[in-house]
Amino acid sequence: MVPPMNRIHLILGMFCLALIFGKPAAALAGEPLDQLKGSTDKVLSILSDPAMKGPGKVKERRELILKTVDERFDWEEMARRSLARHWAQRTPEEKKEFISLFRELLERVYADRVEGYSWNKIHYDEERIDGNFAAIKVKIFTAKDQVIQVEYRVSKKGNHWMVYDISVEGVSLVNNYRTQFNEIIVKSSYQELIKRLRAKSVQN
Amino acid sequence: MKILLRLLLLSTLCLTVFPSPSPADHGAIHPFGASAHYMVLDPPVLAAQSSKPFWGEEEETELEEWADTIRDPLEPINRIFSHVNDKLYFWALKPVASGYKAVVPEDLRVGVKNFFSNLATPVRLVNCLLQANFKAAGNETLRFFLNSTLGLAGFLDPAKKELGIEKKDEDFGQTLGFWGMGPAFYIEWPLLGASSLRDTFGYAGDILLDPKTYLVQSVPLNLSIRIYDQVNEISFRIGEYEDFKKSVLDPYIAKREAYHQNRKHKIKN
Repeated sequence: MVPPMNRIHLILGMFCLALIFGKPAAALAGEPLDQLKGSTDKVLSILSDPAMKGPGKVKERRELILKTVDERFDWEEMARRSLARHWAQRTPEEKKEFISLFRELLERVYADRVEGYSWNKIHYDEERIDGNFAAIKVKIFTAKDQVIQVEYRVSKKGNHWMVYDISVEGVSLVNNYRTQFNEIIVKSSYQELIKRLRAKSVQN
Repeated sequence: MKILLRLLLLSTLCLTVFPSPSPADHGAIHPFGASAHYMVLDPPVLAAQSSKPFWGEEEETELEEWADTIRDPLEPINRIFSHVNDKLYFWALKPVASGYKAVVPEDLRVGVKNFFSNLATPVRLVNCLLQANFKAAGNETLRFFLNSTLGLAGFLDPAKKELGIEKKDEDFGQTLGFWGMGPAFYIEWPLLGASSLRDTFGYAGDILLDPKTYLVQSVPLNLSIRIYDQVNEISFRIGEYEDFKKSVLDPYIAKREAYHQNRKHKIKN
């Protein structure tokens, strides 16, 4: 999956880390990064696929992208962390409904972004693993020569490292939604939050 | 007194819903991304970054932890100004910037952007020095001399294009933060957009360091130049604010928290 050049880069990076921490490089397998990169490459290849271009293909292309994203994003974990202390008070049905609404919102946001922006390249900067948690720092170079610093947080579920938060330039998606959700619940109610999430999915 | 008046006028008429360090310049994937400016990352710098504790102060575990939020005692007033800024964007800024974008070719707009950015070098340079970041200060100096000469008064950016020397986005608000000053509380200024008490002081400091303040003494002309700079900037970002609004439930809270977290990130970097 990983082109040789990136592999070398990764190995060099791990070597630096190993020197600093005095740990053998083998302790840093690079599995989270490999898996994330696999999914990202897949999305990018769908976007650049000539067979997927044209107005007639918009729906099909979006479905393909979302399928790839679903395999890598842990929507339930994102929903749970975003609702934070209000999560425990929800019934299983409410949780299920909330996950589905939140997922719908995030999927749309993600798809709009990747379809609307042109990426020149992605540079995988740094990977840190701590038990079943890992963070991967990435730099996205846009066509307009802007650099966007992104950090993925992943946790291990079975054999898969699943994304549960994304930070762009220090702004965490989960934290941002958490603050919004909390204020809405505290100032009005959980029902109001659901109402607004539903309205979002109709509006977009 | 005169300078105070000028500061006030300049700041209120710097026509933008979001000042440049705001989180409104979105990135890919995420509703709250921002553009970044980087120094050349040489191996020692990378290594130094690696040695920092990875998760910073807040260790991410199964336990729910709350990111610190910014205090907002002025929320009712801030919300009103947020509404005003929203309307200002859709009724004034966006139509003007769209028209400008349709008429002026992209290369020229990029040149204008580079020119204003090069002119503002003293702001970044002094703040690099104030944060004892001598490498970035050196880069800023080098960039200024290269781009002012070979780059035709700053319209081109050969320092980045040919030598890969990136600019370092520093301002006085970040310097205050670097030395330990907190944001105090959130302020949404009419016309200027998201800020904090600390960053408002910072903004005043930046105006004092900005050559435009001294080169163009006529207040109406100075304001016109600043407005033009902002319209030019927004011509690259039409659609971003719209996307942002689509992706959030409460744009006011989302913007406030994104501003706070993005500023913390910038102060750390």
